[in-house]
Amino acid sequence: MNKANGGDERRKGAGEKPMIVYGNVKKNYGEFEALKGVSLQVNRGEVLCLIGPSGSGKSTLLRCTNGLELIDGGEIVFEGTSLGKDPKRLRQVRRRMGMVFQSFELFPHKTAVENVIMGPMTVLGVSEKAARERAMALLGKVGLESKADSYPSNLSGGQQQRVAIARALAMEPDVMLFDEPTSALDPETVGEVLNVMKVLASEGMTMVVVTHEMTFARRVANWVVVFESGAVLEEGLPEKIFGNPSQPRTQDFLSHLGWSG
Amino acid sequence: MNLDWSVVFSHWPLLAHGVLMTVLLTVLTMLIAIPGGIVLAAMRMSGSRVLSLVSVCFVEFFRNVPIILVVYWAFYVMPVLTDLSLPAFVTGLTALAMNNSAYNSETFRSGLNSIRKGQREAGLALGMSGPQTFFKIVLPQAWRRVLPVLASAWVSLFKDTSLVSVISVGELTYTAMLIRSQTFRVMEMITAMAVIYWLMGYPQAKLVDWINRRYGVSE
Repeated sequence: MNKANGGDERRKGAGEKPMIVYGNVKKNYGEFEALKGVSLQVNRGEVLCLIGPSGSGKSTLLRCTNGLELIDGGEIVFEGTSLGKDPKRLRQVRRRMGMVFQSFELFPHKTAVENVIMGPMTVLGVSEKAARERAMALLGKVGLESKADSYPSNLSGGQQQRVAIARALAMEPDVMLFDEPTSALDPETVGEVLNVMKVLASEGMTMVVVTHEMTFARRVANWVVVFESGAVLEEGLPEKIFGNPSQPRTQDFLSHLGWSG
Repeated sequence: MNLDWSVVFSHWPLLAHGVLMTVLLTVLTMLIAIPGGIVLAAMRMSGSRVLSLVSVCFVEFFRNVPIILVVYWAFYVMPVLTDLSLPAFVTGLTALAMNNSAYNSETFRSGLNSIRKGQREAGLALGMSGPQTFFKIVLPQAWRRVLPVLASAWVSLFKDTSLVSVISVGELTYTAMLIRSQTFRVMEMITAMAVIYWLMGYPQAKLVDWINRRYGVSE
């Protein structure tokens, strides 16, 4: 079991009750142990970046957080209540967590604005008029007001991902989960998505970000967790992880990515 | 050669009736075979072993025997098995509906399977329920992929209805053959049949092309 706040009281939100607590979370796929007892916390208002080699369990942990995958052991506590396996309870939790996928997963048969109003209208019962107004404001926020009536197939990857962020924000979530949001993007559109995420971070949105963008993690994260082989290798403030990691394997991982501090 | 086309025109009320029966048979078959296909696909994908097995057996049987055999089977065997003697039209309809349900089931199944898992997850992640996700996200997308295939199946079915003529269902082929055997005007009747099928089939094929263009998947 790890210490509260990962053992660092300088961590953002350290004075408050954490929003999400993972206690010894285990997840198996057949014989393969994807998560071997992960204990972590996500504080209110912080940007937590999960980094580590592919297949180390970062995305699995994120997908367990909103119950897209069910855990095989341990516990995930969101705002004081355990997630459990009850579908009704999971639906309630998912309403309060926005999720952004690596492959965008916009609904291709709906326009950008229709994608954004889908959640509020079907799940929250918001009227179409109110949902559209709010959707247009959110599309404005991600810089895509003019693309409101475009179908996803007519948008670039970066634009699609920004619409996907707007779609998640439309539910007014307490926390945003990002699953490698820029990994499927052309290099020239990565920046526009990261910029939107920076704006969200600066507004105090709680964010859990699985990423390979080390510059983003270094500059924007308040807390960095390094995964390896389904377990937490180390965690800490970005200055420490990127400047002076305590684990040699963290150093190895970062230097493989060409990170030089 | 001595051709007398007047035989076609003098028998037009009979032929018109045949055309009507052909159209009726096509429409009724599809009206049964679309829900039939959905039910069979749902059974196959239900997760219940028994339902899935029943569906697989049905589909694999009717998909892999010639329709004409199913027609004969329905005509000769079904009455013995069920102790029901149905009119030829209903028997033919049953045979066509079974064959087409089997095909449609595979069409629906592959349509539903072709929708990425991530689409369902995106719906669930918004807090939508399983049924909401299915009806608002998965089905509308699957429907667009299925529609062009169903449209082609429709045109095939329209032509395949001619097979039930072997059990004396009074559709276009049967009617034309009947007139032929009464008047001995073979060339004229067969040509007339070809022209009538073509005149009706061509616009349908063009409609399928249009549907393909309109609903062709672009992602």
